[in-house]
Amino acid sequence: MVLSKPETGTPVLEMAHVAKSFGGVRALVDASLTLYAGEVHALLGENGAGKSTLLKTLAGVHRADAGEIRLNGGDFHQGNTRDSIDQGIAVIYQEPSLFPDLTLAENVYVGRQLTSGGLVDWAAMEKGAQALFDRLGVSLDPMAKARGISIADQQIVEIAKALSTDTTVIVMDEPTAALSSKEVERLFSVVRNLRDQGSAVVFVSHRLDEVFALCDRMTVMRDGSTVASSLISETSESEVVRMMVGREVSELFPKLEPKIGDVVLEVRDLSLAGQFSNISFDVRAGEIFALAGLVGSGRSEVIRAIFGIDKYDSGSVTLLGKKLPAGKPSVSMAAGIALVPEDRRQQGLFMASSIARNVAVTMLKKLSSWLVLRRKHEESTAAKWASTLQLKFADLSDPVERLSGGNQQKVVLSKWLATEPTVLIVDEPTRGIDVGTKAEVHKLLSQKAQQGMAVIMVSSELPEVLGMADRVFVMREGEHRGTLDRSEADPETIITLATGGVMSV
Amino acid sequence: MKTFKRLVTARELPVFIALVAVVLLAGIANPSFLSASGATDILLGVAIVAILAVGQTFVIVMRHIDLSVGSLIGFTSFLIGDIYAQGYGLMAGLGAALAVGLVVGAVNGFLVAYLQLPSLVVTLGALYIVRGVFNDYAFGRTITAAMVPPEIAWIGLNRLGSIPYLFIIGLSLAIVSGIVMRRVKAARDLYAIGSNPAAAELAGIPVARRVFGAFLFNGALTGLAGAVMLGRFNAANANSGLALELIVIAACVVGGVTIAGGSGTVWGAFLGAILLQAITRTIGALGIPQFWQQAFNGALIIIAIAFDKYLNSRVKTTTIMGSKDA
Amino acid sequence: MRRWNFSWDKGVGIFLIVAVMIGTLLSDNFANASNLSFVLRDVTEFAIIALAMTFLIISGEIDLSVASALNLSSASLGFLYRAGVPFELAIIGGLLVGLACGLFNGYLVTKLGLPSLAVTIATLALYRGLSYVLLGNQPVNELPEFWISIGYGRILGTFLPWSTILLVVLAAIAWFVLHHTRYGRWTFAIGVNAEAARFSGIPVERTKLMLFAMTGLMAGVAGVVYTLRFASASPDGAVGYELSIIAAVLFGGVSIAGGVGTMWGVIAAVLSLGVIRSALQLTGFTANSLLIVSGALLLISVIAPKITEALRKRPSALGKDNTKKTIREVGNEKPTH
Repeated sequence: MVLSKPETGTPVLEMAHVAKSFGGVRALVDASLTLYAGEVHALLGENGAGKSTLLKTLAGVHRADAGEIRLNGGDFHQGNTRDSIDQGIAVIYQEPSLFPDLTLAENVYVGRQLTSGGLVDWAAMEKGAQALFDRLGVSLDPMAKARGISIADQQIVEIAKALSTDTTVIVMDEPTAALSSKEVERLFSVVRNLRDQGSAVVFVSHRLDEVFALCDRMTVMRDGSTVASSLISETSESEVVRMMVGREVSELFPKLEPKIGDVVLEVRDLSLAGQFSNISFDVRAGEIFALAGLVGSGRSEVIRAIFGIDKYDSGSVTLLGKKLPAGKPSVSMAAGIALVPEDRRQQGLFMASSIARNVAVTMLKKLSSWLVLRRKHEESTAAKWASTLQLKFADLSDPVERLSGGNQQKVVLSKWLATEPTVLIVDEPTRGIDVGTKAEVHKLLSQKAQQGMAVIMVSSELPEVLGMADRVFVMREGEHRGTLDRSEADPETIITLATGGVMSV
Repeated sequence: MKTFKRLVTARELPVFIALVAVVLLAGIANPSFLSASGATDILLGVAIVAILAVGQTFVIVMRHIDLSVGSLIGFTSFLIGDIYAQGYGLMAGLGAALAVGLVVGAVNGFLVAYLQLPSLVVTLGALYIVRGVFNDYAFGRTITAAMVPPEIAWIGLNRLGSIPYLFIIGLSLAIVSGIVMRRVKAARDLYAIGSNPAAAELAGIPVARRVFGAFLFNGALTGLAGAVMLGRFNAANANSGLALELIVIAACVVGGVTIAGGSGTVWGAFLGAILLQAITRTIGALGIPQFWQQAFNGALIIIAIAFDKYLNSRVKTTTIMGSKDA
Repeated sequence: MRRWNFSWDKGVGIFLIVAVMIGTLLSDNFANASNLSFVLRDVTEFAIIALAMTFLIISGEIDLSVASALNLSSASLGFLYRAGVPFELAIIGGLLVGLACGLFNGYLVTKLGLPSLAVTIATLALYRGLSYVLLGNQPVNELPEFWISIGYGRILGTFLPWSTILLVVLAAIAWFVLHHTRYGRWTFAIGVNAEAARFSGIPVERTKLMLFAMTGLMAGVAGVVYTLRFASASPDGAVGYELSIIAAVLFGGVSIAGGVGTMWGVIAAVLSLGVIRSALQLTGFTANSLLIVSGALLLISVIAPKITEALRKRPSALGKDNTKKTIREVGNEKPTH
């Protein structure tokens, strides 16, 4: 099928000057996106730029406050998710949500089962799903239960689901985040297939190398507005980064002069079947030690094992000379390790509980005298840290869910800094935070490091890693690929180590 | 062959095997167990629980629960006899039973589906309220054999060969329900709702409507099943149906209908009901005092739940639902 | 969040006062010492177990087997005594049996990861069955005079039954632990978000195991009190008690989803139920009315928060992070780009 040239004909989708606010937060200010048939269109932007909100508006999760949306030249009815699905919008989220107890075929046709004579036709669904899988070039058994299949396969099922209806626009939200390089290749060929058959695909990703390998056109968003849109062939990676960030990269990371001391944490031959193997490194007081790699490389799993959330199979973790038992977070905590987790909402905070309770939850023993917990101490501890971190809030007894993402992260940091840890582990510390707070967090981490704390940072954002780390430990698919000193670390080297080879351009 | 493979890996297979094992064990210990009358005995005892288990399956599969069934069936069994005894005839009695069942089911369904209240609490409250209303209505009276409509009495006492008609009713219901659960679109939605409630919403399934419908159906079924209970015991009083819901849920769990929702079949629940009854009889056949029965039931449910969990956890889940479902 | 609890358990407190006033109006026999003593004695077993059940439900779990555990403790007590064991030791035996019941439940839930609702439905049957195994059909009716007089009698000169002292002490301890120690905070934290609790260094499994054990122990205590009060240990006692206990806990402001509740509210709710029951009995209503009232209170206790929530238009007022969210919140869970 012939690729229709991007600029000809009516766009399949036109989103113009869309605005959306949540309470006082302006998520979208002036966002636009134009999509043509037969193209893969990249939607780029930093965390907080508004990509997600724009797409969710299209998906029917939100309704725009202002702006126009047109589908194939006609009006797009903004309703709920069902309405969007009915109008041909299919969104494949980063974490696909299948029905684990149903078969893959049932998942593809969920809610719209194929019938013959009024009754569900299993044979037709099996055949239909098989045909879709074949069309996508994958080998999956339509009659297998969805429970336990890999994320990569889940995505394929979601794509098949999208194709089983009349889809006008397919949106893929960070689809490669959790995939291995082989699975990425498979996904790319599927997407190219879709494009060649005339679909309009929106591809959201942080990985510029992938974007430049796969996509035809792109739109860059920053701070809620669209700042650029062009053919991929007419731009370069560095120009895109500049448009995304809007200022010089070095400005963002006020790194202080490190004072690196003795080794405080020794990790030896740590292994956990299916997650990571033979991970060894030392961390020194005062240094910022970054774990870099693609999402799914096992970094979060490693630090969770170090802290004790997961029990590792073999190896050892030694803090200040004392070996820590595996799988005991309370012991690690008491010994001096702190973990600011990846998922702020699910793992880091008690969303409906007050700011004071959240900050104090790690300090309860210290705040008690003879079993009696003094509420006043809870509040004063929270107040102290709130002011130290310049937290913006109304009342300490307000639930943390009312705070912005950046302030929420500050609460999580407070609760851990209050324990005065020897080693502070932060997992994606600035994900989903506005640019201003990001800088504050970086400054804070640098300060703490300079005061002697050992900081382990897991980050998927290269600029952050390059700007903050004293040493970079690169992982790929659960294995250690290389350790770089600050002086040796540059984007190409890290990416090469993280992806295991030369990237196809 | 694909169908063969599906049969072998079906959830219901362990239940079936257990059933066969139990029956054999009992038969060895006490040969009269395997006789025709022994079988009739079991099948007769199974009918009520089996019917209720079928209806309960529709509810549990959605990740809900209906604890009000014991109170409800007791009430309607009494009601049918009472209305007949007052001269209004069988159909009026059945009509009333159906009506009461629909009302209870509708209220349960409304509170759970539209107000989104937890089904455990709602049906627990219904259990109380219905039992209370029932007690007041019955007020120490009893339905005796003379007050049972002759049609019902006849069905209750007679059999086709050695298979009681009551059991046949239950079996037919199970077969039809099984087909519905497998081939009707709306019923398939129930599985989706139980498997991943949030995604069901996003997938465009009318969740509230389905949940309401399932409770309504279970209520109506339970109401009408009062006739079966009346036929079985030829009597009814304020204690009818007491604690029955627990046995029903046990039958479902034992039969492979997971409490976590999303899987299990009506046939499995039916088999589970038979298995529970068979074990009860086996205990008797082995000469173990009746007193151990309840303890055995309890232990059995625990084993069923644990085994079910084991079956689920054998498949390594890659964040499809997080640790909650593993 | 605390502001919301404040209004609910003050509400139950007011309900209690109103109930007492209505009771006094309805019947002359209500507000005298003898009747109040009866009410207190009546609610003691419920209240003792409700104290522990409060912790359990706040932590996000439930235990439907408590009445059976109560009865099994009572049966064990009777069994041991009938077998010749000195009564005091038999009491300890009963307590240990209750504790064992709780530990078993806790083991199944925390170590095997089984859902507490299903498991305790099973142990409800199991423990009750074991009561029958121990006693057969023969209740134990000959118990030492001294102990029975404690179980039934009152403190010299007052209308307070001896068991009330026990209740007051246990209630004070429960209140203190829940609201003024870190163990109480842990319980709330686990109920609000067990995963975040684990990530915050709280020993989730160990805490839950303890809570189940405590619930079993309290069932044991209640079992002993029950045996002394009725001067009999029989296999079919306390049938259906668990439902009243749960109704009281929920009516007292504890959310079935976990993470929310106060001890005052639960105590007030248990007392309210006792008062209502007494008032109903004195005015000639049958014991059934209590069933209907309990059921209605149960429903009210879950419907009312929903209504208030809708009125305040706050999406997640109940404190549990994972209750059904609006689509908007599901969407917002993903990290923003």
